[in-house]
Amino acid sequence: MDYQNAFAISAAGMSVERLRVEVSALNLANANTVAEAGGAAFQPMRVVARAATANGAPVPFAALVGRGLAGPAATVETAQTAARRVLEPGHPLADAQGYVSYAGVDTTTEMLTIMRATRAYEANVAAMNAARTMAMKALDIGSTP
Amino acid sequence: MSAGTDFIAPVAPIREPQLAPLAAPAALDGAAPASFGDLVSEGLRQVGNQLQTSQADLQRLATGDVENLHQIMIRMEEARLSFQLMLQVRNRLLESYQEVMRMQV
Repeated sequence: MDYQNAFAISAAGMSVERLRVEVSALNLANANTVAEAGGAAFQPMRVVARAATANGAPVPFAALVGRGLAGPAATVETAQTAARRVLEPGHPLADAQGYVSYAGVDTTTEMLTIMRATRAYEANVAAMNAARTMAMKALDIGSTP
Repeated sequence: MSAGTDFIAPVAPIREPQLAPLAAPAALDGAAPASFGDLVSEGLRQVGNQLQTSQADLQRLATGDVENLHQIMIRMEEARLSFQLMLQVRNRLLESYQEVMRMQV
């Protein structure tokens, strides 16, 4: 039915925002991990959401809706940030100079990402609820008060 | 007398409204048009299918095999909407039936 398209669009938005929160949680969980001596530290990741396009050109709305799921395509990519080097002589994973490589995760950025994703998720829910309310109201047509 | 009311345009005669002739409903799959009972049972079958889908979703949620929560909620909403639509159709049908039964002969 027609309102299922609106639901599917909102669901696609919700999926992207949920992925954002998951990736941020992963970054935060690894924020205090230490790289093996000589090894690479944990690389923080970020979600890159791209608008749906057809051969680089924007897709008209009707085609997007007809496709059922008009959502953006999201990919998880690593952000190339330098590891945080802290002087901790005596640490079991310290290198020859006594430095330890922590993952280059910026806690503030991750918290902001989570907050923004939460709000965007709420917006998607609100849009879906609006579509649902309209469908329910349409069923009230002609009913005696 | 008439000089005083000349400025009032005469009332235009009521014209019969022009309605497009009712098109026959297109056959569903090229066969003869389905009867009304078939349409109703088809709709009921779809509503039942959606309810069963949301029930299976809930079962998977209860067993912890959930891929994402909002999909389940959305499917439940879809099932609820189709059920409400079915209920409204049934209300209209029952209303018209009772109206006919109350008719004086």
